[in-house]
Amino acid sequence: MELTTMGLTKRFGSKTAVKDLNLTLTNGVYGLLGANGAGKTTLMRLLCNLQTPTAGKILLNGKNTVRLGERYRDLLGYLPQHFGYYPDFSALDFLLYLSALKGLDDKAARKKSTELLEAVGLSRESRHKIKTFSGGMKQRLGIAQAMLNDPHILILDEPTAGLDPKERVRFRNLISAFSKDRIVILSTHIVSDVEFIAEEIILMKAGRVIHFGAPQQITSEIDGQVWECTVPAAHAEHYAAAFNTSNLRNTSEGQTILRIIGDRPPLQHAVRVRPTLEDLYLYYFKGGDEK
Amino acid sequence: MKRLILFELRKVFARRLSVITLAGVLLFSALLSFSTYQNKYAFDGVSAEGTGKRAVEIDKDIAARYAGLLTDEKVQQMMEDFAPSHDLNGLNAVYLYENATQSAVFSRFSDQDGNWNGLTVSDVFGEEEIKIGYVDGWLSTSRNLVRVFLALALAVIILLASIFSGEYEGLDNLLLASRYGRTKCATAKVAAGILTALLTTAVVAAFSLLLALAFYGREGLDCSILFAPNDYVEAFIPFNITCGTLIQYQILLAFTCTLSMTGITLFLSAVSKNQIVALVASAAIFLFPILLPVTEKSPLFRLVGLLPIYHVLAVSLLSVEQMGNGMLYAIWAVPATLLFLGAGAGITCRAFARHQVS
Repeated sequence: MELTTMGLTKRFGSKTAVKDLNLTLTNGVYGLLGANGAGKTTLMRLLCNLQTPTAGKILLNGKNTVRLGERYRDLLGYLPQHFGYYPDFSALDFLLYLSALKGLDDKAARKKSTELLEAVGLSRESRHKIKTFSGGMKQRLGIAQAMLNDPHILILDEPTAGLDPKERVRFRNLISAFSKDRIVILSTHIVSDVEFIAEEIILMKAGRVIHFGAPQQITSEIDGQVWECTVPAAHAEHYAAAFNTSNLRNTSEGQTILRIIGDRPPLQHAVRVRPTLEDLYLYYFKGGDEK
Repeated sequence: MKRLILFELRKVFARRLSVITLAGVLLFSALLSFSTYQNKYAFDGVSAEGTGKRAVEIDKDIAARYAGLLTDEKVQQMMEDFAPSHDLNGLNAVYLYENATQSAVFSRFSDQDGNWNGLTVSDVFGEEEIKIGYVDGWLSTSRNLVRVFLALALAVIILLASIFSGEYEGLDNLLLASRYGRTKCATAKVAAGILTALLTTAVVAAFSLLLALAFYGREGLDCSILFAPNDYVEAFIPFNITCGTLIQYQILLAFTCTLSMTGITLFLSAVSKNQIVALVASAAIFLFPILLPVTEKSPLFRLVGLLPIYHVLAVSLLSVEQMGNGMLYAIWAVPATLLFLGAGAGITCRAFARHQVS
């Protein structure tokens, strides 16, 4: 299976959210990274045909996804960043309703819904009304609904938002088990989640893809630019402010180990270390939001 | 498709606002019927007098004495039986009310002193055969139905305004990304909207009719609306139809009104960003025609009168014309409804299918 974007562009008035995107995605897990406003959510909505592109098109195995219509959506699973719910529906009813929309017959819908509620740890709450759910429980329900139709293309926008560490691990395992022979695209601010799951990273900035490749491949971009140095704890704040610091760890000896990103060694005794995805992210998006 | 429609119906009726709205309409109908019943008054001119249940019994007894076709002899008999026994102190006898039959005969055949005005049955009604009996109860019911159905139409708007626009508050991206999100989902919503309108109209109409049957019985349903107390003579429907026919027309028009508003509301729901906008816009479109300075005598009223609000206001639309086949002009509300509903449903499905998630 091959999902291709050709010259994909989306403008909202004078703002261009996605600019001339040319991507080819085959089976595998793709981590979409970028600061707020980088165009990740817009790209995902375009891939789900929830928004019409201003220019360009999306092809599945060479066929326009808009023309494929139901046949394309039948292969699709989508978890939006923010989604609504029917407060008076139970978790099971919610999944049964979405199963009906996804074309599952009643028997298959019940079986699949029950399995997925078990998989996301909501089987005991399956009959509870959604309005009684916490944010994390709603998020898990959202993950379950995205997988109801065993989608060949699974698009997850911030899937781990609101999940506690245990649930995040459960989610990673779920996706890992699920992702064989499918295209999974997930965006998150939690870089470690992508690091664990994704085989390929798509780094977006200002609506463009600035890096696309395996994590080791794209982190090599900043090889030799990540440093670690130990400073007295009292001066740590000063150094952290002065340099692009990706991590700061106190030791029991009153010292602080700083992880700094920069072209040159920040201090004489700084040692070069292997860059991680988080370092790369901070290298490009130091200020947090998209500039 | 059946499962989708059932889910959509469940979404409509699971909302607390829907339950409160429907309960409110039924309560309004009950209160209106009961207060009308309690306010009934009758005096037979001799000794029997009462209100509420007693008044209805007195009126029925009096009506039974003259039941059948209206003749000049019966008119003379009634004028004699109900001749004023006391000074009217300047009150025009036409407006005198002792009981329903007296008021009916005085409104047509009395001068201002309560004497026969010299008109015969054929002078007043032409060649029409006027079957008389106890019609006051059903005519009161007809008048109450106008208010109940007006409330019902607003209730249907409240029930349906969120059917699409409610999804735009975060659920559209789940629905529209699903296989049938842009196709069967919209169709199911439209079908559920129509079923909601049909179901609520049927329940409210049945409830109101059951109350009327309990209070007044079946008497008068086959009698003409033309020989009625003075309240129903001025600015009322001028055609010789029975109370039963009148009620049937009103119920038909209640259905056409709610179905027309279903088409309009579903369309506005599909194109509005949120529920409140859809609700206010639908209610405004429903109520606005009342403000138009078009009377039922104007030729333009033949078109304006087919707008949904005139279906439930009933009297104006039912007064336009009795056609050659005996049907009233109001029957044109049916094709008008099909137009509103068909166009509304078609555009709605298209609008939802093209909706852009934001």
